[in-house]
Amino acid sequence: MKSPGKHCITAWALSLLLGGACVQAADNAAAPATPVVAAAAPAAADASALDQQVQDLKKQVVDLNRDLFVLEEELLFPANTQVAIFVSMDVGDFFALDSVQLKVDDREVSNYLYTPREVAALARGGVQRLYVGNLRTGEHELVAFFTGKGPNDRDYRRAASIRFEKGIGAKYLELKITDRAQRAQPEFEIKDWE
Amino acid sequence: MRELLKRLPMGMLVLFCAASLYAATPPAVGGTAPDFALPASSGSNVRLSEYRGQVVVLSFWSSRCSVCAAQLADLRQLQRTYGSAGLVTLAVSIDDDMAHARDYAAAHGGDLTMLLDQARAVGRSYDVGHVPTILLIDRSGRLRYRREDIRRIDNPYISQLRALLDDAPVKDRTEP
Repeated sequence: MKSPGKHCITAWALSLLLGGACVQAADNAAAPATPVVAAAAPAAADASALDQQVQDLKKQVVDLNRDLFVLEEELLFPANTQVAIFVSMDVGDFFALDSVQLKVDDREVSNYLYTPREVAALARGGVQRLYVGNLRTGEHELVAFFTGKGPNDRDYRRAASIRFEKGIGAKYLELKITDRAQRAQPEFEIKDWE
Repeated sequence: MRELLKRLPMGMLVLFCAASLYAATPPAVGGTAPDFALPASSGSNVRLSEYRGQVVVLSFWSSRCSVCAAQLADLRQLQRTYGSAGLVTLAVSIDDDMAHARDYAAAHGGDLTMLLDQARAVGRSYDVGHVPTILLIDRSGRLRYRREDIRRIDNPYISQLRALLDDAPVKDRTEP
């Protein structure tokens, strides 16, 4: 999920940090002039120190960005209501994935189109977080519709569903696409990670 | 709990920024181009963000548009000329009749990537009111140029395109 708020804060923090660096650099530049030969070595040292400061600032920005991302996740999707749904694919010889539609309690929450590059990433073992949202505690139903090309390059649409109990902690569900070699068919299952 | 309370003001600020940014539609020239994924007439799906690092021409067309064929011919020519410099042309149909759109794409698309926006969700997200409409997206994913009802590709457009391909500073422009 995109997080524009995080970028907003990051840009704000970056401008403050870089502003501070500029003021410091300007202070350094405004220092009284010294003879050229004598100043050569200190100038090199100053440049090195300035470079170090810039690197430190960059590291701070990266750390701040990470903290803000975690904070945003905690605020938007608290652990007691969070539901995350992942997609994984094993082999995929009998199925070329085109899209996945998700319905939670009969309400569409996601409809994702896969590009060839994303399908290749899944086939190499990647796991995609397809959806993260909030659900109250209690029983819920997830239905996933898989669309793509099946065996013999025929259009293929299958559904898998699961009824799950949302407790106090975060709930993780995994949509698994696997090949069933004996029947030369793909298989779709939903795994509930306790 | 204390840690959470300490972080609460910052969190509220994050949410406020997020809400204000999400509310800001459609995308302004100079802002980030909204990402999308659409099926291509060739069969595979295409996602805009996968072209980050390349200059993207986003052209909206319709099979009912009388001047779109000429514009698509110009875009094919530009793609052949600047493709090796990092130009990608995505031509998006906003037809509601997919059969017509596919026939039109087959007849006029050539080697361009022809996308089908049957639900017009992408057209709405880019606030497309006329066809043809052309947008230029730079290598960092920002919308840099917008022009509506452009009949033929002309010099101002090509100069903008070349500046983006050269990574030269470009003045953001919207032309009627």
